[in-house]
Amino acid sequence: MRGFLLILRKDLHAEFRRPESLVSMVFFGFLLLVILNLAIPLGSEISPETGAGILWVAITFSSILGLSRTMSREKENRCIDGLLLSPVSIEALFCAKMAMNFVLMLIAQCSIIPLFFVLYGDSFLQSLPLLVLVVLLANTGFAAIGTLFSAITAGTDRNEALLPLLFYPLVIPLISITVKVSSLIFQGAAPGEYSSWLYVMLAYGCIFTGLGVLLLSHIVRE
Amino acid sequence: MSIKRDQMAVIFAALLFGTAVYMVFLYAPTERVMGPIQKIFYFHLSCALLAFLSFFTAFVSGIMYLVSKDMKWDIRGLASVEIGLLFTTLVLITGVLWGRPVWNTWWTWDPRLTTSLILWFIYASYFILRSSVTRRDKRAVFCAVLAIVGFVDVPIVFLSARLWRTIHPVVIRAGSIDMAPAMITALLVALGTFTVLWGILLYQRTKTLGLAGRVGNLEKQLDGELL
Repeated sequence: MRGFLLILRKDLHAEFRRPESLVSMVFFGFLLLVILNLAIPLGSEISPETGAGILWVAITFSSILGLSRTMSREKENRCIDGLLLSPVSIEALFCAKMAMNFVLMLIAQCSIIPLFFVLYGDSFLQSLPLLVLVVLLANTGFAAIGTLFSAITAGTDRNEALLPLLFYPLVIPLISITVKVSSLIFQGAAPGEYSSWLYVMLAYGCIFTGLGVLLLSHIVRE
Repeated sequence: MSIKRDQMAVIFAALLFGTAVYMVFLYAPTERVMGPIQKIFYFHLSCALLAFLSFFTAFVSGIMYLVSKDMKWDIRGLASVEIGLLFTTLVLITGVLWGRPVWNTWWTWDPRLTTSLILWFIYASYFILRSSVTRRDKRAVFCAVLAIVGFVDVPIVFLSARLWRTIHPVVIRAGSIDMAPAMITALLVALGTFTVLWGILLYQRTKTLGLAGRVGNLEKQLDGELL
């Protein structure tokens, strides 16, 4: 537990000293929100499905910029060797990196989601509290898979350019569930209609966190 | 000796294929509504099941590699994913060919179609990952991890793919074809034939890849001696 906190604090410290990941994530998220506006017919109100789709495409595509950095950062100057030699367990390392990704995504979302409401109408605004729950569940899944695969891509010749190619096919199910649940929330549907999907999202996060903890030791020892 | 046995296996599979084609096209009755295009179903379903079996084999090989670190499991995993991707491609192609006349559309976001497509993407990325790592043991570990994670993703993909149906209108309800007994017999023969083909492909591909690895090693040794 102490190792987990130490690594997380180190990463947060490095990020806040020079917020390269955060700035690029937020900037790219804003860009995507503006670009995706092209998909909407002029002068028409957007449907909840379209709104949810736009929001999550912007979030997932911008998050890749942060996810790919977490592990490749440790490859520079061979910091990973130092981490492996330290008495910190690999499980704690995975959890710390995953928590870091989770926090990064959350901070970026704190500016992307408000901008979404500004650009696409505040009629969805009453659904914000429930949306926060969806965001937390979705982030867990994204952070787990993102951490595992950023460790893999950091070890390849193509480095960060490879991550989107491996990451998106695996998270398509999570993205589609998240978009569906968000659009139901935007519509003001009763929680009973989508609560079972929230459990699926929770299960997704748990399964891939567990897999990540199990598999990371094989990856980083290479 | 073993080459002879391999040849026998190939001849056996060819004979089986002849039988399967006979069963599908002549023995099984032609479907009343869809007509002869329904025949594609026998091959389509066989490919789908074997693609799934391949990915399961790759999953098991991935676990075995991580446990044993024995290169032969990496080769088995690679051969399985190759064959699985081939069969998934065939599933998609035959599905599209069937869907055009029957559903009057090439594609619909039906759960089964969506699942196959996403699976295709997951396992196609396996080859991109493979080509991006040069060191063999490292490549084997990364690919094993992807095969494991990819397979664990499959049930969730299928579960979530049901959502796409409610997002997009479905032209016709898939499946639930009431089959005549002769059709079921033909289907079983086709399935058996494809399973034999699958076994031969997997065995031969594993052998070829193993030999290619050995040749690579020998070349490296030779280079070392020449230097």
